[in-house]
Amino acid sequence: MTFDNAKSSPSTETLSRTELELSGVWRVVVLNDPVNLMSYVVMIFKKVFGFTETAARRHMLEVHEQGRSVVWSGLREKAEAYVFTLQQWHLTAVLEPDETR
Amino acid sequence: MKRVEVKLSLAVVAPLLDVIKQLAGGLGQKLAAPQELGDIDTEFRDAWVGELLTGQSADVQALLALFDDEFFLEGVVAFDKDNAEPIMRACAAVRLRLREVYLKGLGDDILEGGDVELEELSEPVRKAFMCYLFLATVQELIIQYLDSSIIES
Repeated sequence: MTFDNAKSSPSTETLSRTELELSGVWRVVVLNDPVNLMSYVVMIFKKVFGFTETAARRHMLEVHEQGRSVVWSGLREKAEAYVFTLQQWHLTAVLEPDETR
Repeated sequence: MKRVEVKLSLAVVAPLLDVIKQLAGGLGQKLAAPQELGDIDTEFRDAWVGELLTGQSADVQALLALFDDEFFLEGVVAFDKDNAEPIMRACAAVRLRLREVYLKGLGDDILEGGDVELEELSEPVRKAFMCYLFLATVQELIIQYLDSSIIES
């Protein structure tokens, strides 16, 4: 990301970056790991996202078989909060921009 | 409050506690698994990791607290809705460290399937693998009996 320093002050640079970061849709992606139990991952998905057993199992199997699953998408701030919570449970979770929208 | 008491074999579990305590010591300073924080700025990243470490450290203390004097007298540990969550997370943290420190040589297929000839492993790796299985059993017990308490809390 580059800024035109001749035209913008540091505060507007910060504002521009913040606006860019906060705008748009972000994805919460859970990546596979060989350690955490399937039942543990299902329980976390149910607890954190309120998924049904069926939805939680579907996402868990997607992580297990395809290496990753998009478990939530929406505003950046809430996506960060979800990633943080999943990391507290020791799942490998990352934030990525949803470029399909 | 729903409470689950489990009677463990002291002869089997007590020797594993040395390994768990040894790894638990390091979990106050280092995350169990490195996390990819992408484009989050440095200051926010430090706060983020700091909070994860604080939580991880508290969780590990909850796990170690299971093995108190009563455990060494009776062999009994108890889970309830207050300690279930931190113990589940601590088990995950210690299992991740066990893989990193002792079990990487086994390969991920073996770790996921649990299909290994214990007699063929060296003593430290065998003990680490036993810990790995023991902590998974603790997690499974909690999920089996306290799943709804955790989800609703």
